[in-house]
Amino acid sequence: MCGNDQLTDSAELRALEDSMSGVTMPGRPRLAAITARGSARRRHRLAAISGLSVAGVAAGAVLALNLAGAHGQHQVPGTIRTAAYTLTSNANGTDALTINPGELFDPAALQSDLAQYGIPAKVTVGSYCSSDPAPSGFSQVVSGQPQGPSTFYANSGVQPTITIDPAAMPAGAALGISDFQLASGQQLSTMVLISAGSYSCNGTPPPAPSDGYQALYGGHTGP
Amino acid sequence: MSHDETEFARFFEASWEPCMRAVAASTGDLLLAEDQVAEAFARAWASWRKVRRHPAPRAWVVRTALNAGASWWRRSSRELPLSDHDFAAPVSQGSGLDAVVLAALRRLPARQREVIVLRVFLDLDIETTARQLAIAPGTVRAHLSRAVTALRSELAQTTATEADSCAATTS
Repeated sequence: MCGNDQLTDSAELRALEDSMSGVTMPGRPRLAAITARGSARRRHRLAAISGLSVAGVAAGAVLALNLAGAHGQHQVPGTIRTAAYTLTSNANGTDALTINPGELFDPAALQSDLAQYGIPAKVTVGSYCSSDPAPSGFSQVVSGQPQGPSTFYANSGVQPTITIDPAAMPAGAALGISDFQLASGQQLSTMVLISAGSYSCNGTPPPAPSDGYQALYGGHTGP
Repeated sequence: MSHDETEFARFFEASWEPCMRAVAASTGDLLLAEDQVAEAFARAWASWRKVRRHPAPRAWVVRTALNAGASWWRRSSRELPLSDHDFAAPVSQGSGLDAVVLAALRRLPARQREVIVLRVFLDLDIETTARQLAIAPGTVRAHLSRAVTALRSELAQTTATEADSCAATTS
């Protein structure tokens, strides 16, 4: 203890301090889960301050989605639905991101929604971010359909579902989602793992990564 | 990762255990403490620009944790599917004396307990403790004095009881 006053040097307080020294504390929770919770609180508080939202978690979430330009409903907890995607928790601890290829998603909204599920992510528009070397283990973090580069058309009836396992995320890594709006009106989305503290971005749409996932969304005509 | 995120990550890493010890000592329930401390850190991140300038950020977390009734962490934790605290893990895992000491702490009046938690488990000096609790340094000393007296009395009684018990066993 700091300070030299007699009171805090008393045997009783030393015994008190010692009594906790042998107790094993639970390990730290994932930082991403803490910051996701905190960020959600901050958004809700700002929404309340701005007078654009009534109190409550669900209302705050709906506001965030509306500001982002999406027209969906946010049901808390468990599922976030927007016109462009649905994000939900699976019973085994993974999260499922189902994409509607006919709608372009809002990157900022997706990033904050992923954060609410404890998934650290960096979603960018018009730039591709990567780390060299990239953290390994993409296939452990992201799985399910689709595998490899894929193109999904709005009228295909296919809504790709990506399964994300936050627990498999390597320490210090984040899910990098780079998004390019193409002249065709489509959206090229590339997903890789990046080192949260060390990555670079450039404005060129990347080729399909060897350890990642790339898909072309949107458009109302098939091949 | 932004500067704020890096700074908060360092704070979280360094402060989780001391804050847990302080809150667990006060509540006597590890799972409840984990719940409350996680909530407090989330609130710290939500207000990080304020908390990072706080003279004692750990004290902010501990006081927030002790005031937090929400149990979002328990509800949301996939690893801990319990919905209440019926199966709470008691703090006292050590010797009988440790259990007695911690039980005595939890019988102290709330203000005395707060002073002890900040002063002993977070190692704050008298003046900082006083500022955290918005009371005078002299009042902190008075609370400490009363708390020490109460703890001494509890421990003396326990020691006497144990001595009587030993004497009865050996006679």
